[in-house]
Amino acid sequence: MFVYEKKLQYPVKIKNCNPKLAAAIISQYGGPDGELGASLRYLSQRYSMPYPELKGLLTDIGTEELGHLEMIGAIVHQLTRKLSDEQIKTAGFDTYFVDHTAGVYPTAASGWPYNAASMAVKGDVICDLTEDLAAEQKARVTYDNILRLSDDPDVNDVIRFLREREIVHFQRFGEAIELAKQRMNQKNVYYMNPAFDR
Amino acid sequence: MNPDTTPNPRPCEDGQGVLAPCSPLAVPNVPFQQKGSQKYEQSEALANGTLFPGLDLPFHLKAKAASVPEGAAAELQALCFVITELGLYLDTHQDDQEAVQLFQQYTRLAEEGKRRYEAMYGPLTQRSAIQNGRYVWLNDPWPWEYRKEGGNK
Repeated sequence: MFVYEKKLQYPVKIKNCNPKLAAAIISQYGGPDGELGASLRYLSQRYSMPYPELKGLLTDIGTEELGHLEMIGAIVHQLTRKLSDEQIKTAGFDTYFVDHTAGVYPTAASGWPYNAASMAVKGDVICDLTEDLAAEQKARVTYDNILRLSDDPDVNDVIRFLREREIVHFQRFGEAIELAKQRMNQKNVYYMNPAFDR
Repeated sequence: MNPDTTPNPRPCEDGQGVLAPCSPLAVPNVPFQQKGSQKYEQSEALANGTLFPGLDLPFHLKAKAASVPEGAAAELQALCFVITELGLYLDTHQDDQEAVQLFQQYTRLAEEGKRRYEAMYGPLTQRSAIQNGRYVWLNDPWPWEYRKEGGNK
């Protein structure tokens, strides 16, 4: 089960409102490479994992991603608090505002609501872990792009942290593939799927 | 079972890892992080987003941490962050005794830190929601709310 801790993993303290930036950052809440998809991907993939270190790693990274989802929600919330009538007309934010006011809704910046089609659970050890390597890279690039768009130091401080976590997670998923390989048929790692064939 | 169980625990430089000399074709191959890798102290780890300098690979824009987070909340966040980071490391390096001991030290520090924090700012979990006979779980601020200093941030 999950127990809520009433704190963020990393401090989010954003002094200035910036609805246009919020409309870009929302993509890491509900976009194709966002934190909601990340947590759902890992927490769902773990059920078919046959080895303890893979069950553990997917549980632990999936849990951390839920904390990142909360941090992105906090950034969007703080960037859109107390908006003026002029600010809600900001190009880029107006289309979000008409549907969600200043609520935090899981959508891509391009307007697509969260879609599980952007993640995969294939039920195969090497396939799912390879998907996870790619997922961490895609999230890392999204954070790179947010750093290109943003000149708010309060926001960038948090984005830097989240971006670095993607790199660490990539490393751990890579090690997980190595550990899985060692348990598989050394002549042909594709001889069977250890997540299904017993 | 990790590939870095050679007599020299750190055959490569700190920002590098160990690759098995022979490995099955057609499978991703990421170097294994070596045991005994350099580590930041906790507040630097939180500021950089990783405990390990060897994995600290910032983007060219805004490469430096704006500031090291400060205050009682950030102190606890730093302790909890090291536990999260070491936990992931141990998931793939479960026989690294140095990391096991460090993990134990930090869990003890974080327990003390949580007690101090809750006494000052209120409950972290609903289980500690009663203080002096009152239900204080609902007290503001909640973590996502903007506060300049202190509190649940």
